[in-house]
Amino acid sequence: MSRRTLIQIAVYGSFCLAIFIFPAIIQDDFILNKYARYLVLGILAMSLSLAWGYTGILNLGHAVFFGLGSYCMAMALKLRTVPVHTGPEGLPDFMVWNNVETLPWFWWPFHSLTFAIIAGVAVPVAFACLLGWFVFRGRVTGVYVAIITLAVLVVVNLLIIDQQRYTGGFNGITDLAQLELFGFTFDAYDSSSYYLIAVCMTVCLFLALAITKSKTGLILQAVRDHENRVRYFGYDVARFKIFAFAAAAGIAGVAGMLYTIVMEFASPTFLGVPLSLGVVIWCAVGGRQSLLGALIGAIVITGMQGALSESQIFLETWMLIMGFVFVLVVLFLPKGLAGAAEMVLKRVVAMSPRGSALLSRPLPPVAPSKHVKGAE
Amino acid sequence: METILAQVFTGLSIASILLLVALGLAIIYGTTGVINLAHGEFVMLGAYCAWALQTFLGLGLIESLVPIFLITAAFGLLVERVVIRHLYRRPLDTILATWGIGVMAQQAIRLSVGGELRYVQMPTWLSESVSILGVQTSAFRVFVLLVAAALFALTWYLLLRTTFGMKLRAITQNAEVASCFGINSDRVYSLTFAYGTGLAGLAGALVSPLKSVSPEMGTHYVVDAFMVVVLGGVESLIGTVASSLILGELSGFLAFFANDTIAKALVLLAIVILIRFRPQGLFAARVRS
Repeated sequence: MSRRTLIQIAVYGSFCLAIFIFPAIIQDDFILNKYARYLVLGILAMSLSLAWGYTGILNLGHAVFFGLGSYCMAMALKLRTVPVHTGPEGLPDFMVWNNVETLPWFWWPFHSLTFAIIAGVAVPVAFACLLGWFVFRGRVTGVYVAIITLAVLVVVNLLIIDQQRYTGGFNGITDLAQLELFGFTFDAYDSSSYYLIAVCMTVCLFLALAITKSKTGLILQAVRDHENRVRYFGYDVARFKIFAFAAAAGIAGVAGMLYTIVMEFASPTFLGVPLSLGVVIWCAVGGRQSLLGALIGAIVITGMQGALSESQIFLETWMLIMGFVFVLVVLFLPKGLAGAAEMVLKRVVAMSPRGSALLSRPLPPVAPSKHVKGAE
Repeated sequence: METILAQVFTGLSIASILLLVALGLAIIYGTTGVINLAHGEFVMLGAYCAWALQTFLGLGLIESLVPIFLITAAFGLLVERVVIRHLYRRPLDTILATWGIGVMAQQAIRLSVGGELRYVQMPTWLSESVSILGVQTSAFRVFVLLVAAALFALTWYLLLRTTFGMKLRAITQNAEVASCFGINSDRVYSLTFAYGTGLAGLAGALVSPLKSVSPEMGTHYVVDAFMVVVLGGVESLIGTVASSLILGELSGFLAFFANDTIAKALVLLAIVILIRFRPQGLFAARVRS
């Protein structure tokens, strides 16, 4: 493994370690819940970085996968609240208000938690594959992809709000039971869910890192840089794009499920344009080509937003400043803060004597090929 | 027969609003290749201008159309000068930058005017309903249709019959060769962008009596407008009109059977399927990727 990979693994590993140690320092459950929320949004931003920074797919509707995952988990947790918030017949309360007679067919499988967890990943992945098949096989690129994903997000959002009888509409699915897995109960205001999220974050982060370091990851980056050349080499570009799109969707689905656990409800705002826009901003500012950069970008920005949320005026001004910073980053810092950090690091390395010797080392000579005889 | 005609008119009304919003976007995208995600915010700005002019200066809607055009065009010019001109070679980054500007515009309006819904008065002489071919329609909607047609005609004339339009078409075909001929491409781009955003402002002003004015109204329009542009094909004015008509009638027709949301979903599905098999849209002068 190259030196750069080792450094990356070390940095990522120490970040994850820091996240795990955090609850030992901060004992307050409410603050833990807040930070758990930021971590989940960080996972979401990291998944977008996989699709956008590494493959060049600008997905303005990434929140749709997040929302689908969160609704899957919410449906399962809702059905576990029998008979308090779900009637004895097994109908959730909002369905009773809307005069629904029987549980709809697509709610039935969510009685099983295993199914729900699998669905929380499988449904976004399937949706991504379907959408990706349409968009990437048609060789739709760049700009149009962004528009279509945005439109898909808006439509799914409207659909979920519209189908109030089955999805809880504008209010979403509330009053959920707590997740019980392997004998653990994950209370949102307890370090148990924080650790669950930290574990999932570590797994997803290293999974994404493994993808980017593999040969597939190399091809994805090539697709980002020059799609046609990759095609001329004989690779099926659409298949790679669908893969990246689906992988990002899967991780976003996991993040969605975790978000339901942390927030204790699922709502159409999880599929909304402001959230999707937010993910793009966090990713861009943090560094779209760096998984950890996107993650930290999300944590920092949502953290600051949370800190300013006491006053409405502060919050609105913060959004204004955020928009302004975003425009500046797009204009002058396309690789975000992670890119800036890397540039600074390179300068520092170049300035130290050992570093500059390393960087200006002459490349080994290439031996002339002996068997190019027939090239006359 | 009457319901069919009523359907056709509803579809035409939706189509005319779509055309108004999409025309500016199509001009900007077709000629400069800039995807302006802040287009919806310019529509919102136009609507707020209409409200402000009405509330603070007592101007009616008709009288304020020209000032609104000039105000939003001025804002568009400012945006182009400061931000967009650095990004002509980076199309994906223009999306992000314009979206950021859109967010800023939304927040600025929220901070200055407040996020509550505002209402714009319809001009009184247009508020009754009119009977056309036996169908009752709102006179204002007919007015919007006529204005949309007039603006389209004006744009067509501008693009195909004036010197400015010729310069713009030259730059679209090949910017470098055009500047060899002495055409100042920077100025042409700026003015085109300003014209496109001015049209968006007018659209916002005309739509404002029909739906209430809020800072978020822009996003909904921008998605619709882009669907029109994606379907109609780039760089084709006829394409924009045709796809507005098709999408308007389709939405109206489907909404008759189901509801607005299902109609929107089905229309989007149709567009995605069409894009898969004909990525350049219906009327493409050239393929854009």
